[in-house]
Amino acid sequence: MNNRRNRGKKLVTIFLTLAMTALALSGCKKSGDSEDESKKKEFAYVPEYLQVDFGISSENMNVSSAVACGDVLYLVVSSWGEDSGSQFSLYKYNVAEKKTEKFPLEIGENDYINQMAATPEGNLAVMLNRTSYDTDENGEISNYSSRIELKVLSGENGSEVSTQDITEALGGEDSYVQYFKIDGKGNYYFYDGNQVLHVMTPELKMICDISTDNWINEMVVSKEGDVYATSYGESGLELKKVDLTTKALGEKLEGVSSGYGNWSYYTSASKSILVSGEQVGIYDISSKTEEELFSWLDIDVNSNYISQAGELSDGRIWAIYNDYEASESKVEILLVNKVKASEVTAKEEITYGTMGLDWDLKKLIIDFNKSNEKYRIVVKEYGADDYETGRTQFNADITTGNCPDLIDLAYGSYTMYANKGILEDLYLYMEKNGLKKEDYLENIFKAYEVEGKLYAMISKFYVTTTMAKQSVVGDIQGWTLSEMLDFVEQNNPENIFDYGSRSSIFYYCIYNNIDEFIDWENGKCSFDGEDFIRTLEFAAKFPSDEEINWNDREGTYSQLKADKILLLQSSISSVQNYQMYKGMFDGKVAFVGYPNSERRGNLIQSAGGCVGISSKSKHKDGAWEFIQMMMGKDYQENMSGDWGFPIMISALEKKFEEDMTPEYYEDENGEQVENMKTSWGYDDFNIDIYAATQEEVDAVWALIKSADKMSGSVDEQLNNIITEETEPFFKGQKSAADTAAVIQNRIQIYVNENR
Amino acid sequence: MRFLKGKKPQKSLYELQEEATEQNKTLKKSRRAGSNRRDRRGKRISVLYLLPSILGVLLFFVLPFLIVIYYSVIDNPINGEFVLFDNFVMVFNNAAFKQAAKNTLMFSATAVPLAVVLSMLLAMMLESKIPFKSQFRTFFLSPMMVPIASVVLIWQVLFHYNGMMNEIIGWFGKDKVDWLNSAYAQVVIVVLFLWKNLGYNMILFMAALSSIPKDILEVAVLESASPFQIFWHIKLRYMSSTILFVTIMSLINSFKVFREIYLLKGDYPYDTMYMLQHFMNNTFGKLDYQKMSAAAIMMAVVMVVIIGILFITENYFGKDVEG
Repeated sequence: MNNRRNRGKKLVTIFLTLAMTALALSGCKKSGDSEDESKKKEFAYVPEYLQVDFGISSENMNVSSAVACGDVLYLVVSSWGEDSGSQFSLYKYNVAEKKTEKFPLEIGENDYINQMAATPEGNLAVMLNRTSYDTDENGEISNYSSRIELKVLSGENGSEVSTQDITEALGGEDSYVQYFKIDGKGNYYFYDGNQVLHVMTPELKMICDISTDNWINEMVVSKEGDVYATSYGESGLELKKVDLTTKALGEKLEGVSSGYGNWSYYTSASKSILVSGEQVGIYDISSKTEEELFSWLDIDVNSNYISQAGELSDGRIWAIYNDYEASESKVEILLVNKVKASEVTAKEEITYGTMGLDWDLKKLIIDFNKSNEKYRIVVKEYGADDYETGRTQFNADITTGNCPDLIDLAYGSYTMYANKGILEDLYLYMEKNGLKKEDYLENIFKAYEVEGKLYAMISKFYVTTTMAKQSVVGDIQGWTLSEMLDFVEQNNPENIFDYGSRSSIFYYCIYNNIDEFIDWENGKCSFDGEDFIRTLEFAAKFPSDEEINWNDREGTYSQLKADKILLLQSSISSVQNYQMYKGMFDGKVAFVGYPNSERRGNLIQSAGGCVGISSKSKHKDGAWEFIQMMMGKDYQENMSGDWGFPIMISALEKKFEEDMTPEYYEDENGEQVENMKTSWGYDDFNIDIYAATQEEVDAVWALIKSADKMSGSVDEQLNNIITEETEPFFKGQKSAADTAAVIQNRIQIYVNENR
Repeated sequence: MRFLKGKKPQKSLYELQEEATEQNKTLKKSRRAGSNRRDRRGKRISVLYLLPSILGVLLFFVLPFLIVIYYSVIDNPINGEFVLFDNFVMVFNNAAFKQAAKNTLMFSATAVPLAVVLSMLLAMMLESKIPFKSQFRTFFLSPMMVPIASVVLIWQVLFHYNGMMNEIIGWFGKDKVDWLNSAYAQVVIVVLFLWKNLGYNMILFMAALSSIPKDILEVAVLESASPFQIFWHIKLRYMSSTILFVTIMSLINSFKVFREIYLLKGDYPYDTMYMLQHFMNNTFGKLDYQKMSAAAIMMAVVMVVIIGILFITENYFGKDVEG
């Protein structure tokens, strides 16, 4: 009897022990479990770019809308030409047969296809906006009319099945339809510009109007035929069903990728909804689960260029891909094929650790992965979910030997990482690979140097500065804090800057000049000195944030012109940018920069990432290859966009040459007339930009050469102390001397601690 | 002597005694063998039951401590070059560390004795026959129930530059005091510490007081001992182990006051509030693990010495009352 009882107790004990162990170990499971991992290893996703011939020059066209019906895509193509103006055409593209067919839909010069959707019968419903008006000889418009037609076209050949004018049903001529969907029963859903969703039967009889509290961002039809809408709620973007029984939006869907990411939702063929952000997955409504398929970045596709997507019946993902930043922009249809992993060439992986992936670096990484045969870069984005947790993890990885091979240094403290021996000296790599310092802007390298070593590389930059009228400030290239204070006090303007509040003016005076108050060598600070107290008192003369009139105000240009404000804080990222400011300052602009004891207050800011190589990397050569690509002639000379200057001197000179080369057009008399390159605007000031003069380019050169300090190098902790302690002073609760004394006390600890 | 047929001859007394001794020896041997087996089995089972705890201690205490020792003797966690005691010398000479050590010592030296003495006085007061005893008990225990974030909020309201304390001193025509950014800051923190910890300590002392044998107290009264003599010679002796425990707990809690200061003033408070844990927390944030580890080891050594002294003291004063 006793034995039996004991045995029972033992069994219970063993069971409880096992249960507890299982419970404890259950926490160890990672989100991507082993089954998923093995699946991932078994298969790989490979993109295929389909060139669709629309019979239009690819530079002058765009796919403005696309709808999939089975394996057929219906595409609205907008094109423009000097003679024809803007035009819309409707095409059918059979993906399996790779065949394009133009639909015989007549779209007038002033008409456009607003929206389209597939019907359950496999036809295509198109919303056509038809505009008509008369113009007299003075260009005055009369008899303006704008009608919305709903045309149902045969999915087979595009022949017209039915046409109905729905203008009145949608609220008259002023109505505008933002989204248009058709559910599985053929009901029409029109979301208008007044946050009202109109639901109509296939016969266009009104079922209900649903008013939404929040703006609907997107609508999608699930495979089951239900319509869902996305809008921003408490937890970011939320996906909710349009419920026709309650005539309202339902509860948000659980388990689907949403939140504050850049998510889009499309009709899926295999499960309910296709989800596309940086990751692509398919969501099943019944089980409320999402299956992750792949990441666009992992398959070397830049998600920034994807406008529409969907799933074909064979499970392949299609997308409209438009690399609008390329020198020869073209629209392609992207197909993602699932293949066996063994069919894909394996490469050595280099990890790129970042808190948030820079736009230009993302593009560069994809280019590197496409072109490099030995290495491929895998991005590890630490700050994707939670910035602070990500930063802690990033630091933990660095110190525990799990450090990424390439480190994005745009976030966190570059100097701290450099001083800890985390990074490789890139000068050594440059020397080893025959890259000459003198081919690059050495002042840029100097800005990122720490004790004569270069630990980070940037590919392009802009100069953060402060501008003043040369006629007022004189021909100076910089000033000290006391010179700047004297200058403002002598001129006694209404304000220093547009929107200049006490805190922003104080920020301008101190933050990029903080080393003036800290003697690191001797571990002493002088925040309780005369200069700092004077700066506090100076800033306090200006209005507080609450006192600034943000609405009823004069434009910046007008204020500058009337000498109501003296300075303008901004950045110069191109010659055109400079030309605009030159225009704003009536021809003569002085780049005085931020107050600085050496009168060198123009600061370098990276415009396209800042990358270093980990000293513990096992793939230093591969990591250097990437940095070499950043610095390479090809990238430096062909970088997209006007935002930022290249760091290579020859590339910069080439860019300047382009800026100085005039563009011409032929006027009605057959004469060559200089064409404007672009137009720029700043608040109440607009200017047409023509080819730059040598003098303008020289001014930009001088500005670039004057900058040899990095922007934003002030420690966050110092910022916090100063911001916290100056607040009561600016509210008039404390004296400047008391405030300065407390700041001195707190920063002294910081300085002592960091010596 | 007659021998019966078929029977063995009878054994002599001596032979019987010999036999019995042999039997006893065999029995003892077999008992000893059985007992050894049981002991060994018992030990095996004990080890098995202790194994999870031993593993836990090794994994969560011993191993991290060894890692801390390792970090304290290398130049930094990335290079990992052995530098022996350089980090200790560097940290010992660091002005911020000195400031933090001084503040922590000052704080503990003030707050811990106050926490022990005041809570003991409160416990004795509540032991005596006073009205509203249970209400007082609840009143002193209530700070334990308030979440730390709320405590900090209350303290901010009280000691802010425009807070309640300055309102009150304003009624008496005094100038405002920047409580959290002045030499008064540590006083504020001591008050906050006492407010938060007195209740718990008081309960421990009340339990200790109630466990003093009543007959000894009665005998002392009959022998005309004064209340002070009863307190000093009996109560204090019997409470010595509780006093040691409360002191150690208060000492540990005094190091934890960083949490409140951090919530009040962040990473870099006014210098009188800057504690050793600030130093360690900030150096950790800046990846200076070597500095942090050296500081932690120095602090641990000091803690061990203090606790050792406390144990010796308790042993000296309380040995005659321990059973």
